[in-house]
Amino acid sequence: MRPKVIWLQGVTCNGNSHSFVNLPDIEDCLRRYDWLYHPVLPSSCTLDELSDKECDILVLEGGLKPGWRKGEFDLEKLFLRLAKRAKKVVAVGSCAVYGGVFREYDENITGVLFSGAQKTKHYKSLAQKTVNIPGCPAHPEWIAFALDAERVKLDTYNRPKELYAYTVHSGCMRNEYFEWKVDAEQFGTKEGCLYYRQGCQGPFTHGSCNKILWNETASKTRVGTPCFGCTEPDFPKRDLFATKTYMGIPATMPLGVPKRAYLTITGIAKSFHIPRLHKRLFDED
Amino acid sequence: MKIELIEKIEGEAFLDVSCRQGKVRDAYVRFPHYRGIEKILVGRDPLDALVINPRVCGICGHAHLQATVRTLEKLAGFEPNEKVKKIREITRFCEMVQNHIKWFYLVVFDRLGLTYDFRTVHVMIQKINMLAAIFSGQWPHSSYALPGGVTCDPSQLEILQAKRLVQSVREHFVLLVGAFDIKNLSKDLKRLYDRLEERDLLYTGKSLDRFITFGSDSYVQSSKILHGKVRPAKLHNIREFGQEKSHAKGVTYKGKFYETGPLARTMLRGDLFVKQLHRRYKDSITTRIFARIYEVGTLLKKIDEHLRTIDISEPSYTPLEIPDGETMSAIEAARGSLIHKVCIEKGKIAEYVIITPTQWNLSNAKNGESSIIKKALIGAQCEATDIIFRSFDICSVCTTH
Repeated sequence: MRPKVIWLQGVTCNGNSHSFVNLPDIEDCLRRYDWLYHPVLPSSCTLDELSDKECDILVLEGGLKPGWRKGEFDLEKLFLRLAKRAKKVVAVGSCAVYGGVFREYDENITGVLFSGAQKTKHYKSLAQKTVNIPGCPAHPEWIAFALDAERVKLDTYNRPKELYAYTVHSGCMRNEYFEWKVDAEQFGTKEGCLYYRQGCQGPFTHGSCNKILWNETASKTRVGTPCFGCTEPDFPKRDLFATKTYMGIPATMPLGVPKRAYLTITGIAKSFHIPRLHKRLFDED
Repeated sequence: MKIELIEKIEGEAFLDVSCRQGKVRDAYVRFPHYRGIEKILVGRDPLDALVINPRVCGICGHAHLQATVRTLEKLAGFEPNEKVKKIREITRFCEMVQNHIKWFYLVVFDRLGLTYDFRTVHVMIQKINMLAAIFSGQWPHSSYALPGGVTCDPSQLEILQAKRLVQSVREHFVLLVGAFDIKNLSKDLKRLYDRLEERDLLYTGKSLDRFITFGSDSYVQSSKILHGKVRPAKLHNIREFGQEKSHAKGVTYKGKFYETGPLARTMLRGDLFVKQLHRRYKDSITTRIFARIYEVGTLLKKIDEHLRTIDISEPSYTPLEIPDGETMSAIEAARGSLIHKVCIEKGKIAEYVIITPTQWNLSNAKNGESSIIKKALIGAQCEATDIIFRSFDICSVCTTH
């Protein structure tokens, strides 16, 4: 028997549904499970038929909001009814995990287990069977991993360590510039690190964006866009294209790095001038 | 009165229809949700809108990003260089292509009970999104365009990769749908036509035969067609109005309703294939559906042209200050003209208004003026309401931002 899957949507933009469609060889994933409902892909039921169904894996995309209608049902009640019977709940995208961007408008919008960084009333009953896949959107490979995974190690936000133990900084093409503290003077070039001025949150954001590339080809930082920290409970912060600094030092340190250690290394790195890192990459010598 | 829940339209909508003797007598569209994007923006730095606005919609977030960028650039009186324009068009056209292919097969073919080659369809979607990501870093939800340019700095290698991808998608596309030759339809176009004919749907869903496009780019110019005459369209003639029992606002141009989207664009461009269909079937679902899939071919050609002519030695970005002030601008999204309006005070967003393509096409009638969706539904067979509704490629999440 193939595991039955229902993909339910709460307060969402549909971004995770469309992200999931980018999964290479998605046909395999469609065959491996019995898809009762997906908002974009072929599936066997209509919304109205879902309330008395049972599924092995319940996917939630989007936040939960009291009183939010899903067809003729109350979304939260429908979700809880299905979740109770499911073997596994997968919260896909930062809205389903923390409440996400729409929480900025209405604080009653929450994720399954978390409301921002706080535990919700569902934590006790659902934490055991819920895997959180935050991201705005979540990467298709991360979603496929969560559907398949059994007994994976989770962090304090129920995120699989295999995906979220890395920082977005790991694998960034601009690491040399970070090591030698060479900042990107402006947007639109291949050179320089975006952590010092352009607001990049890669060094302290959990995610494997530069390990498992987006659309098999790129990532934000690989095209010169700062990381906006979309896998974390405080996404979206404010002033996203500027680094908050104290006396010229980024206010948020790379993950786990004490400020004193950072300052020492920075002082040493900056005392050396590496000419190659101050030139355009493709310039002739 | 029958209430239909229309699902899988990037969210849901309710259609209240009353029928008599099998024909639609009256229709009213309701969108049940509201997510408050415009409110979230107030008080924020204008550049934060580049991250917030794509989250209006998971399938056309790129259009929302670029509408935001163009509105802020307009405020600063800035015109980007050719390289920036081409890169932005490439990624936006990619988004339109993936949208149209998904809609054509996963919605239209599915609803009409037609089978299709899922694997090839999926390869096209995946590859065209990969092409966009070469420049935008990811699809969906990129924020790679910003006032003054784009964050990417593509090399020859990336241009070459992009050219290969567009070539591959073009080849797959022709293999699936055949040629756009009205006398000689083949493959999936022929299968679609035959199914519409079998079900007596060829002439159904005719609307007001009025078209409007506000975006201007290398593909289409801002203009409208009223009584068969083409005239420029001006943003200041647009009015929004509240609608009962719905979270979506209606929208008019000089008090009249207009259709926006691929049918409007191809009519305004004068694309022969669509004009020939229009001559016979007017603005019925046939012309509307074929216009959307026809557009894919033209957009793929545009992407290819841009990749061949782009000068990557031009700068990707020019630093730009965003001044206080108020303005609006429009961009063409997959479903039609997308309009963003901003007011900046003391360096922060004081007000933001978004008017989406689906608002144009799904406004309910007002003040005795029939609207696009209402006119398309009235008099149609009651069983045809679902396909007529979907022929507009509805986006519920956009409409209830």
